[in-house]
Amino acid sequence: MTMENRKLQSVAALESYRTKIAESQKNEYPVIYVCGGTPCLAKGSRAVTEAFKKEIESQGLACKVELRHKVTGCQGFCSKGPVVSFGNDTVYLEVKPEHVPEIIEKTVKNAQVIESLGYKDPQTKKRAASFQGIPFYAHQKGMILKDLREIDPLEIDDYIARGGYASLAKAFAMDPEKVIDLVDQSGLRGRGGGGFPAGTKWRSCRAIDSEVRYVLCNGDEGDPGAFMDRSIMEGNPHAVIEGMIVGAWAVGAHHGYAYIRDEYPLAVKVMKKAVEDAAAMGLLGRNILGTGFDFDIKITRGGGAFVCGESSALMRSIEGKVGEPRAKYIRSVEKGLYDLPTVLNNVETWTNVPLIVNNGPKWYRQTGTQGSPGTKVFSLAGKAVNTGLVEVPMGTTIRELVEKVGGGIRSGRKFKAVQTGGPSGGCIPESLADLPIDFDSLSKAGSMMGSGGIIVMDEATCMVDVAKYFISFLAEESCGKCSPCRDGLPRMKQILTDITEGRGKEGDIELLEELCDVLSYGALCGLGSSAPNPVLSTIKYFREEYEAHIRDKRCPAGVCRNLVTFHIDADACTGCTLCAKQCPQECITGERKQAHVIDQSRCIKCGVCRDVCKFDAVRVE
Amino acid sequence: MEKITIKINGKDIEAVKDQSVLEAARENGIAIPALCSHPEIETQAGSCRVCLVEVSQNGRTRLVTSCNYPVRKGLEVRTDTDLVRRIRKGVVELLLSRTPDAPVIQKLARENGIEESRFFVDEGEHYRNRCIACSLCTQVCEEVVGVSAISMLDRGRDKSPGTPYLKPSQACIGCGACAYACPTEAISMTDEGETRKIWGKEFKMVTCSVCGKPYIPEAQVDWIVKTTGKDRAFFDKCPDHR
Amino acid sequence: MEIDIRKIDEIIERYDKSEESLLAILQDFQHTFRYVPEQGMKRISEVLDIPESKIYGVGTFYKALSLKPVGRHTCKVCTGTACHLKGAHTLTDIIGKELDVEPGETTRDGRFTLQTVNCVGACALAPVVMVDDDDYYEGSSPQDVLKNLRKYK
Repeated sequence: MTMENRKLQSVAALESYRTKIAESQKNEYPVIYVCGGTPCLAKGSRAVTEAFKKEIESQGLACKVELRHKVTGCQGFCSKGPVVSFGNDTVYLEVKPEHVPEIIEKTVKNAQVIESLGYKDPQTKKRAASFQGIPFYAHQKGMILKDLREIDPLEIDDYIARGGYASLAKAFAMDPEKVIDLVDQSGLRGRGGGGFPAGTKWRSCRAIDSEVRYVLCNGDEGDPGAFMDRSIMEGNPHAVIEGMIVGAWAVGAHHGYAYIRDEYPLAVKVMKKAVEDAAAMGLLGRNILGTGFDFDIKITRGGGAFVCGESSALMRSIEGKVGEPRAKYIRSVEKGLYDLPTVLNNVETWTNVPLIVNNGPKWYRQTGTQGSPGTKVFSLAGKAVNTGLVEVPMGTTIRELVEKVGGGIRSGRKFKAVQTGGPSGGCIPESLADLPIDFDSLSKAGSMMGSGGIIVMDEATCMVDVAKYFISFLAEESCGKCSPCRDGLPRMKQILTDITEGRGKEGDIELLEELCDVLSYGALCGLGSSAPNPVLSTIKYFREEYEAHIRDKRCPAGVCRNLVTFHIDADACTGCTLCAKQCPQECITGERKQAHVIDQSRCIKCGVCRDVCKFDAVRVE
Repeated sequence: MEKITIKINGKDIEAVKDQSVLEAARENGIAIPALCSHPEIETQAGSCRVCLVEVSQNGRTRLVTSCNYPVRKGLEVRTDTDLVRRIRKGVVELLLSRTPDAPVIQKLARENGIEESRFFVDEGEHYRNRCIACSLCTQVCEEVVGVSAISMLDRGRDKSPGTPYLKPSQACIGCGACAYACPTEAISMTDEGETRKIWGKEFKMVTCSVCGKPYIPEAQVDWIVKTTGKDRAFFDKCPDHR
Repeated sequence: MEIDIRKIDEIIERYDKSEESLLAILQDFQHTFRYVPEQGMKRISEVLDIPESKIYGVGTFYKALSLKPVGRHTCKVCTGTACHLKGAHTLTDIIGKELDVEPGETTRDGRFTLQTVNCVGACALAPVVMVDDDDYYEGSSPQDVLKNLRKYK
């Protein structure tokens, strides 16, 4: 088929095409979806797919069973991968190639559920092999992520079959102002961090008198510990594109850009293919669906600079320049890319748009809170039992997220804090864990929503070390344009390093606070002015930890190398030899089944022994 | 030019819409310290942060850099609040820890009541100079001179102006505009006999046929002749003897 | 290193002749030559009519670009938050010791460049090591990572 005749000439043509592919996708047996998200790949999902292929072939089931090994689509439960599901409620975790024949025989051919491949509750030891029955999934609400499990991101037909691009028909039939009204009424707020109302942004941009306007997608997800946008771009790229087309129609833009982080090569590849496919189908480019509306999207690959997630730096970077922010006294809706009116929203925000247009603001507002409607996708990482990609209604409490979805803290340690918002956010202590997660509550607590990275911390996490970590990160990522950030961050880092290495002095906390003020008020862009949050929030909630480091030269969490020693408790040690095998210094000795000993003179206090010990026998003092 | 009235430190002053607050203040005799702003540059970078002022507009009060904050209707500016003084002092202290040897910064520190910086001082050749990485030199080179011989290199703490590949620049015409514009006198330019040295490159100077003084690099004359079509003979004499 | 000027032109040809293409061209240089060569920047300046100073400024600003050749393989230790909490720092030390390089350096035989990177977005594998563009390894047992690294020639 040539490119030209694939082009859909009208909204009606899209609808009949949809019916046609939906018909052709009907199968005798359920589809097998093997997760190909990065963690699942690393845990061996490729071998599982190969095993399915072989089994399907050897049983002569080809054409009857469809196997989808999505190169990317993340099914969420990363810590229990590889994940396999079937388009219904059944889901299997930690699947290995040897499980495949049984899965084909029982689940595919005979619709039987194999409970033993399900989730094992660590307390009750009960198994569950369904999305409904596994707490990690049961407490989620899948508005954005639902499709990730079942769509092949490289197949536009797959997206269209599941209702993709339907919102275009609705939007094109409306006056652009009315589309903005919808988004406004939905209460959609930008998922990239600040939570700015999307409708307000769009309206301001449309109001500027200009021949040319731009819509941009911020896929420069730079917060360490965040991978939501990556998963969406890799797993459901057309949803992002669809949202951008609606946005372009609403604000009157004919050119768009998606700026994608350099560290996400796969997202770049998948998004590029999606844009090409959409253009080939007449969903992008000139005269979209015969409506006379033109809009195209270019993909820009970032260059590995965190600051390019800041809107004005991102725009400079698209222009091919050094990604330095500019003063935003004139906002980018007025003077953005090439100094022309520009709307910039992030990946997840754009993905919400088709949902709102298709189902209406009233439906949208049924989820979430009054001030923060809808759901939020989080990457849950750190010391929780279950980690992965999750989606919950706005307003879910931190505790629900950590304890119900995350299943509590690993190895029975105590829940200490969560870090939200990446380097611009802060640490919220367990005592405030009943806070609802929404834009306003998190800001009030001294953190921020950020793009949605949630890092769970346990009692073995040192909060001074965490603050040092973020400040070091930011010092390295500062663009260097303004003095508070460029010169202030290395100095904050030095003070924090001194504290964690036992050279802290009285007055250091106050000096840090002073520097924080210079950055909050004096820095040029958001990266610099929010940089104090990790420090201020840890001082606010964990001041005694700072004081223990400074006064007693003690790290209560047992993390700061200069302030701790490692010992093996002879009573608890079973002599399994695991620690000795993993010790990089080879300074742990002992006979099998005998208590082991650490040679203090050679120990570098890396903590590997403590992490690998299954019997909690390694003590830190 | 639309004239509007704004308030600075409680006083009504007349200013031009969209001009910078710094400009409006200075035209009215109100002093605001500033390092990296320059009237010939179209977009002020606002990187040194010394010209911070407090502005109130539409019910919102915040600190902004006066060099690039546009004058708009209803603007109220305060140049001397406690917050302005406190944050400016912090900025200057950081600049002092970066460039303790720059006389301009030493003077600014004294004016802000700083004896010496409480923070570590950058050591090493790359750091221990007078440069505050404000980028004014590169802006002047691009916008005023038009040759773009230098640019800001690297990032973060390592950011500094330099020539491509750190080699003598083909594009440099030795005009020295960067050195004249530099607020902290950080760029080394020496004129010895008929030779000027700047950015690691040597330039032969044209001497004035009247006074015999070498006064302009040949490369600069070439550039002006090429870009403006001016007669080469014009440069036979220095400005004093034309 | 000898750089084929035709290869440089071929890369530049792929893109529109506008400043907007600069970063993408430099990325392609990095990918093809394992660094951004001076000749390449000079050529961009001629073809795209951008001052060399600006190209060099961009070349030194972005971390994805290197002005010195990197190894045949890049070993990226993720230092995202989750990885940091689970010992990315130690893992970097251990790998650095094995390869006899500091982060940012290339082994003498040109086999590996060791880098620390900000979050590769695979937090469930924390601490995670990424080799080249698509191989990820769980780093909780450092000795296993070292075993895997030996596979790369």
